[in-house]
Formats: sequence, C-alpha cells, structure tokens
Amino acid sequence: MRIGSAKQSYRVDEALFDSTTQQTWFGVLVLMLAAFPFVANDYWLYLACLVSINIASTIGLNILTGYTGLVSLGQAAFMGLGAYTVAILQIRYGTPFLLNLLAGGVVAMIGGIVVGLPSLRVKGLYLAIATIAAGFMTHFLFSHWASLTGGTGGLTVPPATFLGNELDTSFRIYWFVVPITVLMLFGAANLFRTRIGRAFIAIRDRDISAAVLGIPLLRYKLMSFALSSFYAGVAGGMFAYFFRLVTPESFPLIMSIFFLAAVIVGGMGTILGSVLGAVFMTLVPELLKLIVGWLPLGGNATLVLSPVRTIVFGLMIVLFLILEPHGLAEIWRRIRRVFHLWPFRT
Amino acid sequence: MQMKKWITALTAASAMTMAASASAQQEDIVLGGSIPMTGVFAFAGIAIDQGIKDYVKMLNDAGGIKGRKVLYVPEDTAYKVDQSMAAYKKITSQHKVNLYYADSTGFSKTVNPEIERAGSILMTGASFGKEINDPKKYPSQFMVGPDYTEMVSILLNYIAKTKPGAKVALVYSDTEFGRDPVDEARDTAKKLNLNMVAEIVTPPTSVDVSAEVIKLRRAAPDYTIFHGYVLAPIPEFINQAKSLGMKTEFMGTFWSMDHQTVMRMGDNADGFMGVMPYRYYYDTEGKSPMLEKIRQLRPEYQTTGYTQGFLAAMLLTEAAKRTLDAGKPLTGSNMKTALNSISNFDTGGLIGTPISIKGNSIPVGRVYKADMKQKKMVPASDWITLK
Repeated sequence: MRIGSAKQSYRVDEALFDSTTQQTWFGVLVLMLAAFPFVANDYWLYLACLVSINIASTIGLNILTGYTGLVSLGQAAFMGLGAYTVAILQIRYGTPFLLNLLAGGVVAMIGGIVVGLPSLRVKGLYLAIATIAAGFMTHFLFSHWASLTGGTGGLTVPPATFLGNELDTSFRIYWFVVPITVLMLFGAANLFRTRIGRAFIAIRDRDISAAVLGIPLLRYKLMSFALSSFYAGVAGGMFAYFFRLVTPESFPLIMSIFFLAAVIVGGMGTILGSVLGAVFMTLVPELLKLIVGWLPLGGNATLVLSPVRTIVFGLMIVLFLILEPHGLAEIWRRIRRVFHLWPFRT
Repeated sequence: MQMKKWITALTAASAMTMAASASAQQEDIVLGGSIPMTGVFAFAGIAIDQGIKDYVKMLNDAGGIKGRKVLYVPEDTAYKVDQSMAAYKKITSQHKVNLYYADSTGFSKTVNPEIERAGSILMTGASFGKEINDPKKYPSQFMVGPDYTEMVSILLNYIAKTKPGAKVALVYSDTEFGRDPVDEARDTAKKLNLNMVAEIVTPPTSVDVSAEVIKLRRAAPDYTIFHGYVLAPIPEFINQAKSLGMKTEFMGTFWSMDHQTVMRMGDNADGFMGVMPYRYYYDTEGKSPMLEKIRQLRPEYQTTGYTQGFLAAMLLTEAAKRTLDAGKPLTGSNMKTALNSISNFDTGGLIGTPISIKGNSIPVGRVYKADMKQKKMVPASDWITLK
C-alpha cells in the first residue's frame, strides 16, 4: 500500500505530479520517448508520429466534448484549416515552421469560434449536426478556391526546415511532432487547474447552474471551441508536414468520427484518456494486422483476414463502450489503485 | 607452420564469405503492395491482388528473373492514405523492396518523396491520375494504361471519327478523381471540333440526379461521358434519361467499365460504351496467349482489376529483368529507364496492340460497348493509340 502521500498545502494537492513515484515514471517515459527513434525502425517511427498527431487532435476534442460537454463532428475540418494554412504559408512565404503551426492553430481557432456560435442555442446531437456543416464548408472552400488551395489536386508541402536541416524523414519529424504534442498535453492538463478549465467543467456538469454561478456561457463555450480548434489546427499543421500533401479529401467526416471515438474509447474528460484513445484507435488496427501476419495460415490469409480484422476492431470498440463506458483511462486508474492499495483489495 | 594454418583458415573463411555474399546477391526481388482489401475499393483491390499473385507465381514457376525469385508482399490499406503509408513503411522496413504497387492517387503523391529518397523502387498502381503522368515530378512511377485525361481523349477521338461535330456532355464527380480530366477535355473537344454542350458535376455517389438529368436533357448531347464514378449514379442517369426519351449515347472510363459493373446497370445500359485499356477476360479476338493462360488458370470470369494487377506485375518485373539484363543495379532510375525502353512490347494480348512506354503512361485504349443480349462487352472501335 502506498503511504506518505499526505498533502500539507493546496499547492501540493493541485500539483500535476503529486508523488515522487509519478515524477520518476514520467522521467522514465521521457527517456523512453527520447530513446525510441534510435531503436525503432521506420515503420514504428511512422506510427509514433501518426499517434502523436492524433493525440494532439484528440486532446483538443476532449477539451470541447469531454470537459465542456459540447459534441463536435467538425474536428477534421479544423485540422484541414490548420493544414492548409501551414501548407500555403510554407509554399508561398517559406516562413519558419513553428510560426506556420501557430498560424494554422489561429486560423482553425477563428473557424472554431464561427462554428461554435450556435452552441448557445443548440446542444447534444443538434450541435453535432451543426458542426458537421464545418466539414462541408471547408471541403467546398478547399476544392473551389483553386488559386489558393490548388483545387481538388491539393498542395504538395515542402518539408519543414530547422537550422538548415530538412525534416523529411519520420526520424527527423519525430523530434518536432512529439515534443509539440507533449507541450500541448501539459497545456491541456494545466488548463483544468485554472478558472477557465473549471468553468468548462461546470458548464459540462450543468450549464444552467454554471450560468447562475456567474459563468458567461457563450464566452466560455466559444473559448472552448477556440481552444479545441486551435489544437486541431496545430495537429493539422503537423499532419501537413508529416504527409507533405494536403487535399480536400484528406479531412473527411470519418476522420472527425475517428477522433470522437478516440475520446469516448479513451475516456471523456481525462487527458490520459485522450492519449490512450488516440493510441488505441491508431495502433490497434496495426496490431491486429501484425497478429494476423503471425498466424500460421498461409495461402491467401491477407485477403481472408482483412475483413475479419475490421470486424474485430469494431467489436472491440463496442465491447469497450458496454463493459467500460468510462474508457481506457478508467481501466488504467483501476490498475493504479490495485498497486496503491496492495496487499489490500479495496 | 602455425602461421600457414592461420593463412589457410583465413583464406577459406574469406572464400566462404565471398561465396555467401555472392549468394546474397541472388536474393529475392521484392514487390510490395499497398492493396485495398477492405473499404470502398475492396472490390478492385481483391482482384488486383489476385492478378499480381497469379503473374508472380507464373514468373517464379518459370524460373523467376535471371534465377531470382519474385517475392510479393501485400498489405491491406482499406483505401486510406495513412494506412497505405503505414503499409509502405512496414514492408520497406522488413524487406529490401524493388517494386511497389500503390492503391490510390493520394498515396502515389504522398509517397513520392519517400520513393525518391529511397532511390531503389519502381512504382505503379491503381492510379490513372493525370498528375502522376509527369516523368519530371514522378520519375520513379508509371501507370498501367492511359491517364484519365487520355482516357477521355480516346473517347473524344472516337466520337470525332464516328460523328464529326457531335455535341458532348461531361458528367463528373466532385472529387479529385472526377475533376482530373475536365480542363483538358474541354480543350481536346475544341481541337477535335466537338461541341461541349454541358458540364455537370455531382457528389460522388449521388442518388437523386433528377435535376442533373433535366439539365442534360436541355443540352441534348449526342454523347454523355461519365467520369469519377464506379457505378452510382450512372444507372440512375441512364434510366431517367431513357424514360425521358433522350437519344444520347452514354460512355464511361476505366473504373466503371468492368463487365460486372456494366451488367449491374441493367438492360437500360444496352449500348453503354467506354474506354478500356485491356482486353476483357472473354475477348477471344486476335492472339492473346496470356489471356488464354489466365482462362486456363481461372475458368471463372476475372475482372478488369485483375488484368490491371496482372499487367502491373508483368511490367514491373519486365523493367527489373531489362535492368538486370543490362548488368545494372536495381535502382529506381535504372528500372524506369529500362521500362521506357519498352517498345512494341507484346503483353500476350492483354492489351490488343503492341505497347511502347515513353513517359509515365501507356496512352492506348479501345472503345467497348455493352451488348445486353450477349451479356458481353463487345469492341466498338479498333485500338486507339494517342500520339
């Protein structure tokens, strides 16, 4: 049983890492992340970068949906806004990539505020449908404003450069994608220790009560939309540098559903849930592919097992929702509790 | 004496190492593939996979390429670019890949910087996107047929020859695939003195097309070319147009021209025409020994996707063979040069005319027509090669 974690001040109580064990494990994690590119092959590095980008976007959606209770199916559209902004800035002006990412976030944020305007009037499914409109509008914009966006053919993005080095391989991209995502994770974790984050949670739990408590609903809802889409915009920017190609078809509605699924599977309203959800949604199909590859079936196994793999993945999502509606984060919390309380059970 | 033993042992060891490295040079030629076996293009991906597998097996059974076997390594991509990239990374991490089959235009464009960096891969795939048909921008890629713009040009050439000055309408989907040939089709029509009377754009799998059919009726074209679809909304267009008494001839491009796809359109599709770069499975006209072999191997109908995969494997391995014959290493540029040396090449009848590959495409095709009585696609023109 873990002992010695008595808190003697509010500051210690609110600390992000409230024990030395946590700090040690976080240090180990950072070391592992730093060592990963040197031991992993190109395939795993690619997946690590993809997971990282997906985590960034999932945290954004979790701020909006998990913490503020506003359902959105426009995350892919905001990612698209960020990706196109970054692509255009990089191609036309060659500005530094960090500035481009920031600009991508800001443009997506403006888009988020516009799309978030109906959020005071409509909630739940109605809001979800309203946010789908963002996808249609951005798709139209990307495919028809050809002089700026390259039309349906899209834009080929030159690689980001850092100190004269082109970030054109998964190994190099890893070093800018992962730290940015870690920073965004810390940003989100800290957000919920501030007045703004608390207001989001109050709105989620009962918006009328929040209004009675003096929280201006529209302002905070729009703020939540702005933050969420900023995260999506930055993730979209990283997507643009990672894939080096943005087209109107790069950001379909199914992508928004992917992020919503990641939030739900991971655990709504938890930062860890965003990470676990994005990892699950990105890596489980790949792991299933690996498992299928290991099975000694021979013949045309790829052909036969590909649909089976898709069904298993779908079933896993359904089972999660039935057996663990609080998501993977809750499972993790339970595992931790077992270690904390050991040798006792409850 | 002791020294002599050491020298002998070292000489033997180095000889063995050299022998081992000589045999290592005889390693397999690897053909990787991002293949959509699930998702919206699974119908094509499964056929393509089978076509590649069959050709590779035939080649290996006949001794491979200069004694080297071809190893085909496919991965499912669900027709998603990120999964295709993952498949590419996975396959290239596990094997020394020489040849690659790509599943989409999006992936072909996305992976291009990687292919250029690797410098050791020749790529083809399911894309007929015009953008890929640029040897400068995509020097290590090619396509197994004409690009979409060339397909529409073949149709327009056929129309200009059959009915000079005809009125033509273009119906296309609001996607990269659909918009691909539109601009050049306009110019080609002008050059061929054809009258482009309508351009109608629809969502990719649109169901209600009544407004578009009315537009089409108003334009009263002699020919209507569909592009950017597989099946829907083509049958709906044809059914509504016929019920309105329209006399226009309907045409399609490669992905909507498979026998099974056309037959699913129903009896109203009798006379539906379109461009096809390959002979159909049941086409017995002329000499086609390879098609004969396929028919023996697989007695049931094989789709045009199968032929596309089969031919892709044939051309990729032909490029590898020519490179090895010239005593050059299997680099992307050497294989591309070898591929471009293909002139008047007999595909065993898969394409009904000898082919030459000058750039990134094979601008050859034939207009076929649906004959619903015979339940077959029958030739409506000779093979048309664009200059």
